[in-house]
Amino acid sequence: MGQNQSGLPGGPGDKKDDKKQKKKWEPPAAPTRVGKKQRKRAGADVGSRLPNITPNSKCKLRLLKLDRVKDYLLMEEEFVTNQERLKPQDEKNEEDRSKVDDLRGSPMSVGNLEEIIDDSHAIVSSSVGPEYYVNILSFVDKGQLEPGCSVLMHNKVLSIVGVLADEADPLVSVMKVDKAPLESYADVGGLESQIQEIKEAVELPLTHPELYEDIGIKPPKGVILYGEPGTGKTLLAKAVANSTAATFLRVVGSELIQKYLGDGPKLVRELFRVADELAPSIVFIDEIDAVGTKRYESTSGGEREIQRTMLELLNQMDGFDARGDVKVILATNLIESLDPALLRPGRVDRKIEFPLPDAKTKRRIFGIHTGKMTLSEEVNIEEFVMAKDELSGADIKAVCTEAGLLALRERRMKVTHADFKKAKEKVLYKKKEGVPEGLYM
Amino acid sequence: MVAEKNEQQIKPEGKDGKKKDAKVEELTEEDQELKSNLELMVERSQDVEAGVQKMALEAMRKEIRSATSSMTSVPKPLKFLRPHYTTLKEFFVNMDSGENKFLLADVLSLLAMTLVTKEDEIPESLKYRLLGSTEDIGSWGHEYVRNLAGEIGVEFNRRQNVGESVEELLGLARQIVPFHMTNNAEPEAVDLLIEVEMLGELSQHVVANNHARTCLYLVSCSSYLPEPEDLQVLEVAHEIFMKVAKFPDALRVAIKLGSEDAIATTFATCTDKMEKRQLAYMLARQGITLDLQSGPAAVEDDQETLQEIMSNATLTESFLTLARDLDVMEAKTPEDIYKSHLVEGRSPSGAAADSARQNLATTFVNAFVNAGFGHDKLMTGTTEDDSANNVTWIFKNKDHGKMSAAASLGCILLWDVEGGLPQIDKYLYSTENYVVAGALLAVGIVNCGVRNECDPAYALLHDSVYKENPAVRVGAIQGLGLAYAGTKKEDVQELLVPVVADDKTRTEIVGFAALSLGLVFVGTCHEESAQAISTCMMTRPEADLEQPLARLAFLGLGLLFLGKGAAVEATLEIAKTLNPKVARYAQIVLEACAYAGSGNVLKVQSFLAIAGEHIDKESEQYKNEGNAHQAIAVIGIALVAMGEELGTSMAIRAMEHLLQYGDPEVRRACPLALALLSLSIAELTVTDTLRRLSHDTDEEVAMAAVLSLGLVSAGSNNARIASQLRQLSSYYYKEPSLLFLVRTAQGLAHMGKGLLTLQPYHTDRQLCNPAALAGILSTIFCAMDMKATILGKYHHVLFYLVTAMQPRMLLTVDEELKPLPVSVRVGQAVDVVGQAGRPKTITGFQTHTTPVLLAVGERAELATEKYIAVPPVLEGFVILKENPEYMETSV
Repeated sequence: MGQNQSGLPGGPGDKKDDKKQKKKWEPPAAPTRVGKKQRKRAGADVGSRLPNITPNSKCKLRLLKLDRVKDYLLMEEEFVTNQERLKPQDEKNEEDRSKVDDLRGSPMSVGNLEEIIDDSHAIVSSSVGPEYYVNILSFVDKGQLEPGCSVLMHNKVLSIVGVLADEADPLVSVMKVDKAPLESYADVGGLESQIQEIKEAVELPLTHPELYEDIGIKPPKGVILYGEPGTGKTLLAKAVANSTAATFLRVVGSELIQKYLGDGPKLVRELFRVADELAPSIVFIDEIDAVGTKRYESTSGGEREIQRTMLELLNQMDGFDARGDVKVILATNLIESLDPALLRPGRVDRKIEFPLPDAKTKRRIFGIHTGKMTLSEEVNIEEFVMAKDELSGADIKAVCTEAGLLALRERRMKVTHADFKKAKEKVLYKKKEGVPEGLYM
Repeated sequence: MVAEKNEQQIKPEGKDGKKKDAKVEELTEEDQELKSNLELMVERSQDVEAGVQKMALEAMRKEIRSATSSMTSVPKPLKFLRPHYTTLKEFFVNMDSGENKFLLADVLSLLAMTLVTKEDEIPESLKYRLLGSTEDIGSWGHEYVRNLAGEIGVEFNRRQNVGESVEELLGLARQIVPFHMTNNAEPEAVDLLIEVEMLGELSQHVVANNHARTCLYLVSCSSYLPEPEDLQVLEVAHEIFMKVAKFPDALRVAIKLGSEDAIATTFATCTDKMEKRQLAYMLARQGITLDLQSGPAAVEDDQETLQEIMSNATLTESFLTLARDLDVMEAKTPEDIYKSHLVEGRSPSGAAADSARQNLATTFVNAFVNAGFGHDKLMTGTTEDDSANNVTWIFKNKDHGKMSAAASLGCILLWDVEGGLPQIDKYLYSTENYVVAGALLAVGIVNCGVRNECDPAYALLHDSVYKENPAVRVGAIQGLGLAYAGTKKEDVQELLVPVVADDKTRTEIVGFAALSLGLVFVGTCHEESAQAISTCMMTRPEADLEQPLARLAFLGLGLLFLGKGAAVEATLEIAKTLNPKVARYAQIVLEACAYAGSGNVLKVQSFLAIAGEHIDKESEQYKNEGNAHQAIAVIGIALVAMGEELGTSMAIRAMEHLLQYGDPEVRRACPLALALLSLSIAELTVTDTLRRLSHDTDEEVAMAAVLSLGLVSAGSNNARIASQLRQLSSYYYKEPSLLFLVRTAQGLAHMGKGLLTLQPYHTDRQLCNPAALAGILSTIFCAMDMKATILGKYHHVLFYLVTAMQPRMLLTVDEELKPLPVSVRVGQAVDVVGQAGRPKTITGFQTHTTPVLLAVGERAELATEKYIAVPPVLEGFVILKENPEYMETSV
């Protein structure tokens, strides 16, 4: 303020003038230091948020309340459209925008905000050069400035002309399942009780929260799927992703292990933050044993980092900050090695075991896989179903594929019983790591 | 048979469909068995022999009933039976009537639940239920009953439209309701009864243990139901409360109903001494007095105590008890509020400021901050420098300033009729007219909300109404309005109607007189007053009507119909015939007042449309009507929406749009509307908006925003707003008018040292004190033309706020009405309507010992088992009874 007027003689005569000037001056809002938390609140507290409607159960009161809100929104819409018709704002906005663009100039350079000095000054550094003490232009939303964020700078005077919105970690956005997998519940053979359990624990709370409220319980937050390899854990998760309208985020445990210290926990935090923003959502962490093993004394920095990642995961799953409609599905085949804290109720409310298929289930799995194959008349699936071998779902699929390949090799259009027999032997041979069938020790 | 079934298999919806075709044969063995069993039963049930039929049907029913359904899928038996639905249906038509037919109808009814019904047709499930046996409806499970209830609603509407009989539906509803009521599904029972329009039958199903949930639901619904139903619902709730002898609850609902009969009956029916006293406390808070000598509410014993409670005679004493307990008895000087030493930058204490304005501001701050405490440092002083100091303070003000200064004495002595009047008395005989006027006003203020059998206010004021001096007349008239706000005192009407009717009375006096009439007869549709005011408006010349204070007359007229809804219609018609200059204005004022707190969406819509007009200053319309009515429309939106929380928050949203698009006139009213929506609720969203507006380039918007900041934070001692106001005081240090408003707002923020509230809604935000709302509206209306009123000669209109001042306390008293400290938990209120179990009603609570302060939106509950509170809502005065089952557990 001082620099522009200092040269002029300011006698008592132009006191009135001075006052006029004073009036124009507007004390800008105190710089709000904005961290992650604040940004979240800023989204919530502006008038745009609609009021919460209680009760959650289906009843006339809820209908009436929702109707009331709808009425008000319709009125707002009517009002705004009318106003836009009478007094279009677009033109004015367009004008303002082009003015702002002029002020910003182009190209703009990208820099890093080091420190905010006062309402209109800050220290910035560009990626190459030294640090500068620069102006913050008045149209920059100061609520979004925080030390360390990326800012746009004027190409000559380097004053701050904009903030680069800090989008979610690209690593997290990759995890979002945009295209639903093709596998549906129909492709799961058997596992009926498992499907029911996972539906109750994960899908139903998102679609019908009022059922839980009617009874007066909190719906489960997370489930863990465990069992031998190839028993359909991932398949079931895919089926959930296929059938749900909620956001589905999938991660593999090993993805959470990062190169640099603190990156792993940060990724977990980001993951859950994104999940919360996009709620209702389901987070599926496959092979959780990659990060979730029991804690023990370790000297290696890498292992400790992995443990810290798990601790962050613990906190995100049931920590201090309440997560709303975020459900977690974990999958592993080594449930014994997981940290007990991860499995406690509240974090993981349901443990769903995936056993090796019994005869009935095997039959259905064979049915699913052979359903689309051309089989010759003589194929007797029953023989394989009744066999005493421990076949998992994946094994059965492998047998079918192998049999198909054998038929292909001989250019036959039909898969014969012999193909199946051979294929099964081959698969089992591989599975038992070279010990041929029938050799007992 | 099987093949045939497969052909006519209805394709089930959803993803089940895809898999079903694929694996018809893939059923597990048990499923297969179940399926064939059921198929057999279907076949058998079509047998010619009745015995076989019966057995098959029984077996089918058993199978269906025993199926444990999961939440996620259709129970198996139903799934397998569905393909046979049409077969069974056909068979049913040809079946001979008899027991078996009933049984089959039951099965069909259940099966139909899984089918989609076509429009314009009786839902099948319902159809077969009506044809079926009349056995206990609950035996088929909740889901079935719920489905049936839904179908009854649909069918009921259809039949009503085509004019068919609904008797059988009602019969069925009568079966369902008891089932719901005994199974913790009260909301569903209520919903069904509302649908079939026989809510009157609800009360017979209510017993002691489910009345609370039922009535809570009913009362919550009433705010959102369309017009005739809302009152009906409340009536039912009242009936239920009376049936289970919960009189405090019943009274609460009766007051909400606004029916004097209901109030009197409730009061008369209650026999318990403690409860009766509690009822008297509740009536006192609402400002209702019953005639205890004669009439329906007459009592024999305990009359004196009840009268005393009802007339609020103990209010000042209790308030001082509260103050002593919280250790805030020490009088505060305005400087304690300004805290100039904390102000950064230029402090406004320089000589540049207008000292008369400054002194006036100091007067108001002093009055608001020490309101009700009975002593202060400026006016009453302490013993030593008494006479010298206080007399001079009044005379430190100029002309009309003296009036407010003298009147501020009344505010300090608020409610203390016996102790206060002698102190005011000496000014009544002053030689200066302004001082006399102020003293008259002070008399009115002291009596505000308090009744005294000697009626001192009327005795002191009635002579001065016809004095020569206009200021004295205004003082007396305003004093009368305040002293008898909401009392419907006929004497006042006799006194003031001639003033209004007289053609020669000055306009401003007519305005004040009409407003006083409005205050006294608030929400009564008082015939004579309405007539007098409207006649006066019709006969007055055009020039008079345009004066800002003449507009108060319209508000006075509006207040007569406050919250009365359609009762305003006749007067509204009269308003249309008024001079076009004011006709539109008058209509909107009347409508806004009449639908205050109703949440009527249609009214909000029309107001929004009016506020959205852009009237060209050159246009014919502007010349005819002006644009003052637009501002009223904005206030109208707030006034209509303030009744329930949903409307309040949605209206706050709407204000944002108005601020963005509205004309200057509309924008000026927005801060005041925001203030009206959140009186004494210093919520961040609203205060942020107001703070932004308080720096607006339009000076009038800024003025309104500053005053609104005060109203929003009134009595909250909110530190954030206090610091914002301090900042504003340095920002506007050269603007005497704005500075005056900043000071006033500071005074309001610390009103009663933080022990008072302005919120007219009380008792869990369910009841609205009409007098309080009227007082606030009066001030807000004046604030719309700030320059002519608050910043001009009529700053004493700020004292209209005293009608809304109430201690925001919870004071527990024992059976002898002596204060009884107990520990209570105070926390944010939670909406628990329709929730299962016994949910927590407050969250984030802290434990205190009474007396405690309650902010708006907070709720208290007893933290000890030793006592039982008589009223359901712990607010204001609460009588505690010893808990007979209490056992000392501690050592």
